[in-house]
This record gives sequence, structure tokens and C-alpha cells, in this order.
Amino acid sequence: MNSLERIKAATSFVIPDRVPVIAQVFGHAAVLAGVPIGKYVRDGDLLARCQLKALAHYGYDTVFTLMDSGVETEAVGSRLRYRSDMYPYVEHYVIADAKEMNSVAVPDPQRSGRMPEMLKAASFLRSELGNEVLITGCVLGPMTLAMQLLGPEKALFLAVDDPDLFDRVLDFAVEVAITFGLAQIEAGAHLPLIFDPSASPAVIPPRFFREFELPRLRRLFSAFKSAGSFANWLHIAGPVDPICPYYPEAGVEIANLDYCVDPLHARKILPRTCLDGNIKPLSFIEAEPADVAAESARLLELFRSQGGFILSSGCEIPPESRPENVAAMVSAPRSGR
Amino acid sequence: MNEQSLDRLIDALLEGDQFRAFAEVDSLRNAGIDNNQIIINGIETAMGRLDAKCTLEQFNLLEIMLVGRAVMGVIKMLYPESPPVPTRETVIVASLEGDVHDLGKNIVKTIMTARGYRVIDCGKDCPVDKLLDTAVREEAAIISISGLITSVIPMVRQVIPMARARGLTKVKVLAGGAALKQASADILNVDYVADSVFDGIRFLEDGPKGEQ
Repeated sequence: MNSLERIKAATSFVIPDRVPVIAQVFGHAAVLAGVPIGKYVRDGDLLARCQLKALAHYGYDTVFTLMDSGVETEAVGSRLRYRSDMYPYVEHYVIADAKEMNSVAVPDPQRSGRMPEMLKAASFLRSELGNEVLITGCVLGPMTLAMQLLGPEKALFLAVDDPDLFDRVLDFAVEVAITFGLAQIEAGAHLPLIFDPSASPAVIPPRFFREFELPRLRRLFSAFKSAGSFANWLHIAGPVDPICPYYPEAGVEIANLDYCVDPLHARKILPRTCLDGNIKPLSFIEAEPADVAAESARLLELFRSQGGFILSSGCEIPPESRPENVAAMVSAPRSGR
Repeated sequence: MNEQSLDRLIDALLEGDQFRAFAEVDSLRNAGIDNNQIIINGIETAMGRLDAKCTLEQFNLLEIMLVGRAVMGVIKMLYPESPPVPTRETVIVASLEGDVHDLGKNIVKTIMTARGYRVIDCGKDCPVDKLLDTAVREEAAIISISGLITSVIPMVRQVIPMARARGLTKVKVLAGGAALKQASADILNVDYVADSVFDGIRFLEDGPKGEQ
């Protein structure tokens, strides 16, 4: 099996030749290649080359075109501050007052901000890897993009103080995500991961997820699937147990689990959803390779007879991680432990 | 009557309904209840119940923010000219250099202020030197660091030794936030890693877990 076939088997609950491994390597690919993260996130060719180098180094099953959480909001009009060794952040949010929503437009992915660079990365990776390795794009989910457009506190208070207006912000976020996600598929990504950490139960109550997020996730995944997306993959960090029951209704086929989630409990809630997780991200910095190998072996054992599992980190592998720790996770399914 | 009114205020605060809380405060004042009683029997009771709720159930930032906003609104209503004099020690809150997230830090600031601490906000992206200069100047007893990215960990480890070198021999250092709470107090070289702002307050007021 190649990597794409292996992941397909996992999402279909067919036992693969070995459990696939997804290392959520974003800025770590730049660090590994000796490239400043500030450059990595602004240059699609460079990003793709760093991803290919990291793939060659580790031999996992997925590459990512993900830059950072500022791509969409910058394309809409927010001003970012770039830093050499870290991800950029929003210095000025494009929407000062949600009542002026009419003044913003859905950006054209071929022209706006760094979106074209991310598309370039997807094309480059697809031309190099074809259908051997999963090429993962990324869009921000509606809750996270709303916070990136307004600022987190303003967006959260708006959800309570003026839910109708907040609905409009979320609808706009969905339009941005659909337009950008479809362009990524067109450019060569096998799927756009929906990254929505702000929809976590650590941030909003589960009923907000049900009312605001669920119908919009369904719309997003449906649009991507119609365009040929390989699988519907949702990434929400934190203690997601209370919202997992909504995942099948949203159309989720791969659900990321953070380190704080009990994977067997998640499996009970989601018996037919492929799970990816959930090694503690900090352990890639602080632990020893033997610790990461042991934790990987424990997870592999939990899912040995079940299928529907991808070994992964609970969230991003921090850029400053020790390469030997990433390697320890990647080699675990091959070692037969 | 007064107890029922106080209960209604507490309910409004816990639901994060600031306008209903303001109306209840009006009723209480019209009934002759003074500010001090509203603070002690209304706000402090509500904060205690929020603490208990956050301990028993999965809590979320939004609900805590809403309660915090309502509480701060009531305090401003009670003391429109200047806030009440803090009754507890000075705490410095910050996110360290490189970390530009401040949602968690702002929640810590609000809840600790409502609890009676004197809170000085060093902001986000704060160098350790600036944090400690402020701690010395303000004679802080506590430093509270929020962290959403792991790259601040080496800086967090430096806070206590650098504080000691500046003569802050008794300052307590707390850490929290999504990245930092993955680590132990030993790894971070701090006094305590808090699961939530309430967990941090319990540590400060009751001592480490198991010593209560």
C-alpha cells in the first residue's frame, strides 16, 4: 500500500498493511530545513520543498500546505505582523464592527494575500507526489475564522449579544472557507482539513457548537466532498467529548483527538469515524524518544483489532520539537510493536 | 426579600446576563442593601459557585468571560468614580515574549480582580525583564503567566531564578493556558501549574492540593 491507500483503508475501517502515521508537521518542517518560519509561511514553493524534505526525513503518510491561522483573515483585509522564527499574528482585525459586514468581500484565492502561495504549494506537492502521499490543505473553520476577523473577545461576546449578526459573520466565514477549500482541491490538495480550534468545548459551550457550528460544518464538508475531497477531516483541539456525538451528522470522516481525550471513549461515541491522535504535543519537545515510542505502542495496541485509526499527535507538533521524538512516533507502526 | 433579591443577582451573574444583573443591583440598593453586602453576599457568592461549577463540569472560556463581564459591570456600577481598594495581594499577569494570545490572560485578570486582587497587566508578547521590572516596582506577591505556545517554556523556566536575583524572594509564580498546562511545575520551574484561573486561586489561598 502507498500512503494514500493506507489512509483510505483506515478511513474505510479496512485493516491496512500498517497503521498510517500523520505527524502534524507545519513550522517544524521549516526548522528541520533551517528555514525561518517567517519565510516558510510566505513562500509556497519554499513551503512545499520543506515539506518534501521533512517527508523524506521521517517517512510519514501526509504532507501539509498549512501556513498559519492568519491566511484567510489577511486575504480579507486584516493586517498581520510577521516574525522571523514564529507564526505571524493579527495586528489589526479587518472587521471593527460586525454591523459593517457588508464592507468585506470573499477573497479570490488566486489573488488575495498568501492564498495563491498556499495553492502553489498544493500544486507543487501534487506534481511531486501524485497520489502516493496524502496532500492536506487547510481552511479555518467558521468559529476560528470569525475570531480571526473580529478579534476573539469581540467575536465571542457577539455570539451572545447579537446571535443574528454573529450568524452573518459565520456565514461569511463559510463562504471564505468554501471558496478557498475548492481552490485548494483544484490546485492539487487531496482534501482541505477543517481547522477550528475555537469551536472547542474549552472555548464555547457545546450547545453553541450544535447551533452555530454543526450546520456550517455540514455545508463545508458537503461542498468539499462534491468537489472530490478525499475525506472529511476535522481538527478541533481540547476536550471534544461533548461535541463528538455531532460529528457524524456534520459528515466528519476523520476526527482529530487532542491528548486530553480518552481515545477509547471517543471510539465508543464514534464507532465508524476514523480517529487520529493523540500523543501530547509537548512530549515531542520534553520527552525522550523511548517515551514517545511507548506512548505510540500503547495507542497502536488500543486500536490493533479495530481499524479506523491513524497514529498522530494530538495537535501541531511544535516547531522546536526534537526530530528523534517525531521519528520515534513515525517508526512505531513499522516496528510491529 | 433581600435574600431572594441577592439570589436573583447571583443567578443573573452566573448566567452572564449583565443587564439583568444591573437591574437586580438597582432593586437591592432601593431596598437599602449597601455596596459591601452586594459584593460579599452577591458577587463573592456567585464567584464561589462559578468556581464549583468549573471544578465539577467542563468549563469554557465564553461562559467565564460572560460572568466576568457582568461582575465587572456591577462593580463599576457600585463604584462609578474609582474601583474599590483591592483587599488581596498584587498579581502581575502576562503572556510572554512571542506569545500574542491574550484571551486566557484577560480572563485571569478579570476573575482575580473580581476576587479582590490588585492586578497589573503586562500584556501579551511581554519580555521577562519587563515582567520582573513591573513585579519589583509594584511589589508583587504573585506572577501569573498564560501560555498558548510551547516556545515560551524556556522563558517560563527563567522567571523564578531571575526573580530571586532581583530580590523577589517570596514571589509565587503560576502558569496556565493550553501549552503550559501540558507540563508539570517541575518542568516549568514554577510554583504551580493551574488547570483554570479558579484552580490557581485555590492554590494561592488554600495551598497546594493535598494540604487543604
